[in-house]
Amino acid sequence: MAKDLRGRRRFGLEDDLGIPTLDDAPAVEAAPVSEPTTPGEWIHQNLFSSWINSLLTIVAGAFALFLLYSIINFTFFSADWTVVQTFMKAYMAGPFPIEEVWRIWVCAYIVSILAGLSLGISRWRPRIDRRSAVAAAIWAGPALLIILYVIRTALVLTLTAGILLAVAGGAVIGRAMGSRLRKPLFVAWFLLFPVMLLIVRGFDGVPPRFWGGLFFNLIAATIGIVVSFPFGILLALGRRSDLPAVRLVCVVIIEVFRGVPLIAWLIFSRFVVPLLLPQVDTPIIIRAFIAMTLFSSAYVAEIVRGGLQSVHSGQLEAGRALGLSPVRLTVLVVMPQALRSTIPPMIGHFISLFKDTSLFSVLAITELLAAARRSSSSLEFLGHDAETLLFAGLVFWIIAFSMSRWSQRLELRLGVGER
Amino acid sequence: MVQETEAQQQTEASASADDRMIVAEDVKKWFGHFQALKGVSMTVNRRETVVVVGPSGSGKSTFIRTINRLERHDGGRIIVDGTELTDDIRNIAQVRSEIGMVFQSFNLFPHLTVLQNITLAPRNVRHWPKKRAEEKAVQLLERVGIPEQANKFPGQLSGGQQQRVAIARALAMEPKIMLFDEPTSALDPEMIKEVLDVMEELAESGMTMIVVTHEIGFARHVADRVCLFDEGVLVEKASPDTFFDNPQHDRTKRFLSQIL
Repeated sequence: MAKDLRGRRRFGLEDDLGIPTLDDAPAVEAAPVSEPTTPGEWIHQNLFSSWINSLLTIVAGAFALFLLYSIINFTFFSADWTVVQTFMKAYMAGPFPIEEVWRIWVCAYIVSILAGLSLGISRWRPRIDRRSAVAAAIWAGPALLIILYVIRTALVLTLTAGILLAVAGGAVIGRAMGSRLRKPLFVAWFLLFPVMLLIVRGFDGVPPRFWGGLFFNLIAATIGIVVSFPFGILLALGRRSDLPAVRLVCVVIIEVFRGVPLIAWLIFSRFVVPLLLPQVDTPIIIRAFIAMTLFSSAYVAEIVRGGLQSVHSGQLEAGRALGLSPVRLTVLVVMPQALRSTIPPMIGHFISLFKDTSLFSVLAITELLAAARRSSSSLEFLGHDAETLLFAGLVFWIIAFSMSRWSQRLELRLGVGER
Repeated sequence: MVQETEAQQQTEASASADDRMIVAEDVKKWFGHFQALKGVSMTVNRRETVVVVGPSGSGKSTFIRTINRLERHDGGRIIVDGTELTDDIRNIAQVRSEIGMVFQSFNLFPHLTVLQNITLAPRNVRHWPKKRAEEKAVQLLERVGIPEQANKFPGQLSGGQQQRVAIARALAMEPKIMLFDEPTSALDPEMIKEVLDVMEELAESGMTMIVVTHEIGFARHVADRVCLFDEGVLVEKASPDTFFDNPQHDRTKRFLSQIL
């Protein structure tokens, strides 16, 4: 009996259906190779292809040069960075007592080592070729210069360099240990937050009213993200529940908390909650964290709802037909797909939540932005707002940009097998 | 002709109550004001392959979807292997675990590998250990002819391969009944045969099957009985030879003249 390409028995239909057989395989031809362009050709094609492009290139180039000149001029000549150097501790830790700052350094080192280990066991490897090296030099060189110029305390410099070493060391160890570390690392990240709280608060530590600076922004953002993520998922699921009461409660929570600005919720948690519920005796900071978390949960819920809608109904039917219970169906089939499609808006929301932690300044907490503004209103450095705000902005940007890059990597990694 | 009818009556009489795998009595279904099923009665015996044909919108897909409760029937009775489908969740779970279903659009889980797709239900519904579920999955992938695809994702497979994985996924639960809802309608022509081959082998192995399809060749070749649905009614039910060569109803004749 005749066989097809895979050596299976033929049915007599192949010729009608056009199934290829061994006889009619076409010859393989190589794709044409494109000529590499010289730098001159590249410039001509991309910058001066027509008179209007030439004009745009010249105008934009002049503007870019002017901007570069102004930045260099400001950074190295007209700016006085003494204010940043003087208030560095306030920017990073607010009113945190200086003799207890070691607690924050310990936390920073733990995070760095964990981050390094995670980097080491991940499949990501730095690509080192000429192009990426040049790009890195252009981008990291000035950044390093600025950091060195701004931070001039030997101790801080040493400790900062130590953090980079901790990341690198962690990466090397992680690479050597491989995937054996995967489970312990997962547990370590999970335990990180309670351990950090213990380091900061425990052993005669520092109560929350002394927290401030970037340290506070990071703590607040972490709490907001870690709590609002699961809570938002529950709200989104509740909104699709079959039970009208559950649905109603979830819709009310989502719409109420989404409809009022975060800053209003923070003020509300400080001044109005004690009036409405005088029995509740929780510290301001806890009430404010709860307000922020509920606010963030409402947004997460709506993002997740979008993801849930993108899951095809056939997926539910297939799961049901296999006999999966509603809970297993949600956890094993629906959620992994729904959450994957929500990574970009979700990280976007978390980035804005991180930046919104600067709103805690209305509760008289000297987080990074408040510390920056306060430093330039001190008598000695009056009028140095440009330096302080630029520095605070740079710090916010570095962290937000890192989160955005991490989200891109996450998308790439989880995108495997998607159509 | 008379002899054949007698023979048919005999086989139906000799089928004891235990042999009836699916019993549907006067099944009715509405979507809003539209009545999709107007009282369908059908019995499918153990090891029997029933092919359901009919124009689109005739209720044939709706009917097989009521059998595993993807659609709730609004009237009549459905009994699957002695368990009646009611609103009782335990009965539904019991029936679903005995029925495998294959869909027109495959509905594989795109975030899981082929192997994970197949082992998901055995591990989480039957609570098999991982090793046992994977051994079963590898066996089934060999049976449907694609053991080398185990660690790929569904998006990396051709339509025909995806549908064969979907069949393996349904078989992994060791079902007593398999439902096929237009399994080849979304496939490119050259992939239809590889799926039909698997289904034919399955029918020969003694699986109880209901197949909604437009593949007349398959119906003739593999079916024990062929049914025509039209406007929510089961018009004609006969052996393939009678159905295609000597149909009793005018509606069947018209349908066959349109598709042949």
